[in-house]
Amino acid sequence: MITAWRIFTASWKHFARNAWLAVATIFVFMMALLSVNVLLGVNVVMDRVVTVLEDKVDITVTFKPETPEQVLTQARFYLTTLDQVRTVQLIPADEVLAQFRKRHERDNKVLAALSEIDRNPLGAQIVVKAKSPDDYNFLLQAIQSPQYQTYIQSQTYDDHKAAMTKIREVGEQVRFAGALLVAIFALFGLLTAFNAIRVAIYTHREEIAIMRLVGASSFYIRAPFVLEGVWISLFAFAMAASLYGVALVWAEPVLRPLFDGADPGIIAFFLDHALLIGGLELGAMLFLVVVVSWVAVGRYLRR
Amino acid sequence: MIHLEHVSKHYPPNIVGLHDVSLKVEPGEFVSIVGQSGAGKTTLAKMLIADERPSQGRIILGGWDITNIRGWEIPQLRRQIGVIFQDYKLLPNKTVFENVSFALEVAGASRSRIREIVPQVLKIVSLDSKAERFPRQMSGGEQQRVVIARALVHRPKMILADEPTGNLDTLNTQDIMDLLLKINAFGTTVVLVTHNREIVNALRRRVITLKDGRIVSDQAHGKYVLTG
Ligand SMILES: Nc1ncnc2c1ncn2[C@@H]1O[C@H](COP(=O)(O)OP(=O)(O)OP(=O)(O)O)[C@@H](O)[C@H]1O
Ligand SMILES: [Mg+2]
Repeated sequence: MITAWRIFTASWKHFARNAWLAVATIFVFMMALLSVNVLLGVNVVMDRVVTVLEDKVDITVTFKPETPEQVLTQARFYLTTLDQVRTVQLIPADEVLAQFRKRHERDNKVLAALSEIDRNPLGAQIVVKAKSPDDYNFLLQAIQSPQYQTYIQSQTYDDHKAAMTKIREVGEQVRFAGALLVAIFALFGLLTAFNAIRVAIYTHREEIAIMRLVGASSFYIRAPFVLEGVWISLFAFAMAASLYGVALVWAEPVLRPLFDGADPGIIAFFLDHALLIGGLELGAMLFLVVVVSWVAVGRYLRR
Repeated sequence: MIHLEHVSKHYPPNIVGLHDVSLKVEPGEFVSIVGQSGAGKTTLAKMLIADERPSQGRIILGGWDITNIRGWEIPQLRRQIGVIFQDYKLLPNKTVFENVSFALEVAGASRSRIREIVPQVLKIVSLDSKAERFPRQMSGGEQQRVVIARALVHRPKMILADEPTGNLDTLNTQDIMDLLLKINAFGTTVVLVTHNREIVNALRRRVITLKDGRIVSDQAHGKYVLTG
């Protein structure tokens, strides 16, 4: 018990005696953690963007203006019965016209042309969303059934494929660069830690020599150095976590436009997974630091 | 207490530290080990605290064969031997009290034990009034007495002193010698390594003379033998 306390105080004395080195080590560790977190954050955002885009994929079937109401409701019912269909939305002709007007609000020519015709030139639309992106091919076929074919004016299928491919590409690049950054910072972190411990041992070489002479166990000599590494890790973790928290609060509003103003959910993601992510990061860092400092002290304790 | 059987120590490539040294020291003895520079005195001392391993032979201390002692057993050994080596001075940023209590702390002694023992050993070396001083505020002789106090905290059965009077004047040297004799009078075995002819001659105790790593004389009431 008293020994534990002595090791504890000794670790803080070590820390204070080479404070600048400790601060530098903390900084590098912090950078390593931040790069891991930024990488994670980018991943989350990318995934969310892809999900949002996937959600936008649909088939819009435009019917001829003279299509009877009955056919429309029947078509809607028919689509609803299909297993592959997630939602079916019937937009009556009037509403289609209203939407069209709204879209061309500023285009006087179009509006003028519209008002010249006294009846609604546009037909009703049915918007179909599939449960899975793979189902769209089937749905396109299904709609082509002879029953409705004659009434269908056009059908559009916007799969946002180009956009999604682009995002996936960028995502891959970011992930690669991020992983590289993480590896570099982790490596530098461990090297700095190793070096910090070397210097700490050098500073304490007289003390260590005397400790050995008067019969200190090697555990007693090693433990404060290892513990100092633990304090450094904890500081780095706390600082990285707070900095990252601030960065998230700042970034979320900035990201909103990407999601048509919806909540990007990135803060929520990190809050939900705080224990897991924090635990893993802290655990991995502590494990590495303890192993590295144990080895470093061992190497320099050999005479 | 100390039992060496045909102990040799060779350093690479072919330097002889010690060669076929056998000797026995009984508990409570006061033995001086003398010899010219490079004779192997420090090598012998280092082997007694397992700081060096013999190349050949066996070393037995108080019935414990330390020839092939394990790393984790060494602290146990060192707590039974009070060591006074020139390379291991006091820590400059600790007070006298702290320098002495340091040796107890590393062995896991409780605070109350430290408060009990440290003043005792400081009293033995007559420095109980200077416990709060720092080494730089003390004379060389006083500093060396603190080192002796530090060596005494584990109540060792044996004191091993390598040149304890190395850079002290005659008066301080006499103080240190008186102290070692006093410790020996309590029943502690003392092994003294030295160059100093006068002090050995004045002691009239057992003297072992080394030359080129070999024992060339071992006299019960010896004098410092000068061999060519
Ligand atoms: N670590 C070592 N590596 C190689 N040779 C060594 C080592 N330590 C001692 N020696 C050699 O062993 C011999 C004995 O050295 P030792 O230090 O025991 O002498 P000593 O009697 O203590 O001398 P001094 O009176 O000068 O202290 C010397 O020749 C020395 O050079
Ligand atoms: Mg020597």
